[in-house]
Amino acid sequence: MVMIEINGTKFDAPKGKMVLEVAKENKIDIPTLCYHKALPPYGACQLCVVEILKNGWSKLATSCTLPVMEGLKVETDSERVIKRRKMNIELMLGRCPEEEVLLKLAQEYNVGKPRFKEMDDDCILCGLCVRMCERMGMEAISFTGRGKDRDLGTPFKEKSDVCMTCGACLYVCPTSRFSSEEVESISGNKPLPIPAEFNAGMEPRPVISIPFPQAVPKIPVIDRERCVHFQTGNCKTCETFCEPGAIDYEQEDEILDLDIGSIIVATGFDLFDPSIKPQYGYGKFSNVLTGLEFERLVSASGPTEGHVELNGKEPKRVVFIQCVGSRDKEGHEYCSRVCCMYTAKHAHLVGDKVPGAEITIFYTDVRAFGKGFEEFYVRVQEEGVDYRRRELDDFIEVVQKDDSDSLVVRAEGHPDIEADLVVLATAIEPRKDAGKMMNILNITQSGDGFMLEAHPKLRPVDTFTDGVFLAGCCQAPRDIPDTVAQASGAAAMACSILSKDNLEIDPLTSYVDEALCRGCGFCVEVCPYDALSLEEVNRFGHLVDVAKVNEALCKGCGSCVGTCLSGAIQVRGYNDKQIHAAISALGVTK
Amino acid sequence: MNKLQNPGELEKLKRTIQDGRDPKKPIITICGGTGCKASGCDDIIGIFKNEIEKQNLGNKVDIRITGCHGFCEKGPLVVIHPKKICYPRVKGEDVSRIISETVMNDTVIDELLYVDPISGEKITYEYDIPFYKKQTRTIFGSNGHIDPTSIEDYIAIGGYSALSKTLSNMTPGSVIEEIKSSGLRGRGGGGFSTGRKWATAAKFDTEKKYILCNADEGDPGAYMDRSVLEGNPHSVIEGMIIGAFAVGSNDGYIYVRAEYPLAVSHFIKALETAREYGLLGTNILGSGFDFDIRVYQGGGAFVCGESSALIQSIEGKVGEPRAKHIHATEKGLWGYPTVLNNVETWANVPLIINKGADWYAGIGTDGSKGTKIFSLVGKINNTGLVEVPMGITIREIVYDIGGGIPEGKKFKAIQTGGPSGGCIPESLIDMAIDFDELTKAGSMMGSGGMIVMDEGTCMVDVAKYFIEFNLDESCGKCVSCREGNARILEILEDICQGNGNENSIPMLEEFADHVKDLSLCGLGKTAPNPVLTTLRYFKDEYLAHIEKKECPAKTCKPLIRYVIDPDACKGCRACARKCPVEAITGEKKEPHVIDGNICTKCGTCIETCKFNSIIIETGGV
Repeated sequence: MVMIEINGTKFDAPKGKMVLEVAKENKIDIPTLCYHKALPPYGACQLCVVEILKNGWSKLATSCTLPVMEGLKVETDSERVIKRRKMNIELMLGRCPEEEVLLKLAQEYNVGKPRFKEMDDDCILCGLCVRMCERMGMEAISFTGRGKDRDLGTPFKEKSDVCMTCGACLYVCPTSRFSSEEVESISGNKPLPIPAEFNAGMEPRPVISIPFPQAVPKIPVIDRERCVHFQTGNCKTCETFCEPGAIDYEQEDEILDLDIGSIIVATGFDLFDPSIKPQYGYGKFSNVLTGLEFERLVSASGPTEGHVELNGKEPKRVVFIQCVGSRDKEGHEYCSRVCCMYTAKHAHLVGDKVPGAEITIFYTDVRAFGKGFEEFYVRVQEEGVDYRRRELDDFIEVVQKDDSDSLVVRAEGHPDIEADLVVLATAIEPRKDAGKMMNILNITQSGDGFMLEAHPKLRPVDTFTDGVFLAGCCQAPRDIPDTVAQASGAAAMACSILSKDNLEIDPLTSYVDEALCRGCGFCVEVCPYDALSLEEVNRFGHLVDVAKVNEALCKGCGSCVGTCLSGAIQVRGYNDKQIHAAISALGVTK
Repeated sequence: MNKLQNPGELEKLKRTIQDGRDPKKPIITICGGTGCKASGCDDIIGIFKNEIEKQNLGNKVDIRITGCHGFCEKGPLVVIHPKKICYPRVKGEDVSRIISETVMNDTVIDELLYVDPISGEKITYEYDIPFYKKQTRTIFGSNGHIDPTSIEDYIAIGGYSALSKTLSNMTPGSVIEEIKSSGLRGRGGGGFSTGRKWATAAKFDTEKKYILCNADEGDPGAYMDRSVLEGNPHSVIEGMIIGAFAVGSNDGYIYVRAEYPLAVSHFIKALETAREYGLLGTNILGSGFDFDIRVYQGGGAFVCGESSALIQSIEGKVGEPRAKHIHATEKGLWGYPTVLNNVETWANVPLIINKGADWYAGIGTDGSKGTKIFSLVGKINNTGLVEVPMGITIREIVYDIGGGIPEGKKFKAIQTGGPSGGCIPESLIDMAIDFDELTKAGSMMGSGGMIVMDEGTCMVDVAKYFIEFNLDESCGKCVSCREGNARILEILEDICQGNGNENSIPMLEEFADHVKDLSLCGLGKTAPNPVLTTLRYFKDEYLAHIEKKECPAKTCKPLIRYVIDPDACKGCRACARKCPVEAITGEKKEPHVIDGNICTKCGTCIETCKFNSIIIETGGV
């Protein structure tokens, strides 16, 4: 540690630090345009100039490149410093008169219009892009020329064969020098934003991000597919910035072996893809959204911070179309249950946020069955939302209005309605990978593709596998209150198992007469509960396979009994003799 | 050649070489420096060789192609040893006479001798020529005697004896002490004490240290380092080895511009032979000390002569200066302690070791010891390289050595220190030249460029020229230097165009002050010097341009016009015929007239007119 003095105040600073860094850490404001924490200091813009005080004399130095030294005394805003800073702002502004960042500084430092002929440039040659590219390990761009011909770019201004279009230059540039077109001119590829998944792709996200605001744990994750470090081994800028040192590039996905007593399946749903039905114009017109996309648009944590705004404009005419993919003989026959109410909510929000908006809802039946739902539906109607009924099989189509941004909704039996925004209430459907989960957990699938409960009325959260319960839309479309209720039930069911010291099972399990078993293994294959296995036994000095029953797993379904060719397996309480006796008792003779 | 195993073997070799040479045998030395090459010395050399062969004199005469003698104005230079009869500007047709008369019969050919422009006398011997007479040629002296590609020539004149003395009789500490007390200051421009620089680097105990030689000489018109490398490369190598021994380094680099092909090839040749003789590489002269030098050829950026930019360039990075809060002597090339000295500084080292610090300190002034090579160019009779003791006056250099200003014009100023030095006016002509005096006058020593200007030189135009050079050669990293100098240039252009106004000078001063105060490196900090010194000493000229729209030196084209004096004009039509734009009209034997709207002020008419009837007028344009 060394002691330095900034503006008369003493600070301890570790050796190797630069004065600018120490000042920043201690909230002493020094302007700079070419400093970046993750990059080697360069000293090009010279705005961070400070005056070093020596005995009886002083000199200037850029604080970003000035290492701390014992007894170093600097002034960050002396008359001399301010004079130099102002003049450099004037010189840079003369070069790039349009640049926001310079205009702001000029205002702050009371620098007027440059006193000389202005140029029309957009680059202050701070070199952040060059150093950033170097940090990416690419060195695709560098400074070219010198003196007044200094510029930056690729060698010989030719297309780069090393640039990987990471866009780091674009990101770090303080002026408008770098645009995506500029990056494209370097690499030949257009830099594409990474769509933020949680915001339905309506805004870009960084490579390292917290997936959504309520994420638990609330920790950023690195998108390995796109992170430069995982492609080249370089960059590591996030590591430089993370003060607690939490970035771990070595971290791998972990597979945990857990000893558990119960499983609750709450794997959720997918949304119906409305582009399958071209009549709705989804995917073709940027102002046709799904309900979920609209939900992000009106959310305070969404891409527009809750402003109803699309392509920079506030839509004044909004049309909602319900039952897209639901109650559809060609799609899903079931009702998705949630769309009627969320559409009503969305209509209400549009009315609230866009004064004077014209809102139309095409519906077939409004199913407002929950507590307070009907009242809300009535309220929305009273707010002036135009509910228009149409039959499910009736023709409906969304088209563009004469090459404009506006759309027209044509529905059978209704006048054409112009819209700036069309929102589709798309169906809830089973997750595409639900089958995989069902295979693993031995869960049965119902006809609609969702997971099947053990009994629709009496065991609505159970599955046929003991200890495995269902919650939410993996079982069927349901809204939030219903999901919470079902999840509470599932949790209670799980607790009822976990709260006991011993697991009570049905005694009616199958058993094997080892003397008859031929070890064919057919029963092992058919057992839906993995309760059977083949084991080696010593029979008169010969090692042979016989079937064994794990009674804790066996549900006594009898599949194995029916399969056994040698009649070696029977179910307790239901062996052949007992069944024959029961039949005899009913008076039926052979 | 077997490697020399100890200092004794070197001494023995020297005697063997000396004994093998007949001091009476005539030697024709022909300057093969780049200056004389430009004057056609290669042809002359060829003719001499042919002639000797033709006359079958191969055994009786030696021919030696030497490095630069310094008197480039008069190249190709031929000096006939042992008497040192000197023939300047030798032509092909003179060769056979020189051989048959001077070389074989010791007869001086009168009409080929040098004529002193001041006294009009013919001078026979090289050492009598005033250009050489006033010089103290300690570094440069051997250039005219040795073949730079022959290590034996160098050894014969006592070369590598300083190295031998260092390795056998001295310790690193005593070498540094010797250099310190000699008062040697860096010849690259900064003038930092060489001994102190070495002492700093010596005190670090690191795995590696580097010795660098800065041969990135880039000042317009300056070529002393090139001439030392071309003419006496071994003196630089010897100096570097001694320096390496003193600071404890085993690796050296020379950073030389690729535009110096002859210097590069001579230096590489010298390195190879020095290695062959065991004077470079491992176990030098059997002492156990290892040191070798690699050649790094720079691309010619002026800024790469700046120490930190030079180091960056060797490291393969863009040649840009960086902040030097930690000196190169502590963390330089690849982060190791590094001693960087200029070519001339290194060439001084063997002399100091051989002749002693007291001898060296006896030359020069209180603050600046030894000699300095200056490149004397511009409006001067004797263009060339001059080596003079520190403390000599400008007058002595310009008039006694330089032979004064051509065409009897008046001396106006001298620009020292290269493009970022300053212009010293006639009023200071008796100023003694050393590091401190030049700085006081607002200029600097720099690497030793001296550009003489006469009354026909416009000082605003001079400032503009140098600012343009500095702006071109600025690396462009610092806003102050890149943008500031560009603005200064714009104002100077305005003034020269007659568009200056009352704000021009205050703005110039403000921008110049800014560039000087804020820029990072030596180039930036000194770049506005030409403006500041011309403003200091020649403000009248600026004011004439701005207020009266006049160019007193009559050089700034927009401010001058060509007219014909009707009284002097004879109407010979010579000018009208030569005028490339047909701006001159007039009847035969009648005074002619120049149409100012067409005239491009090219000056052809002035050169053509035999009656001095063309006059340049300024003001009121």
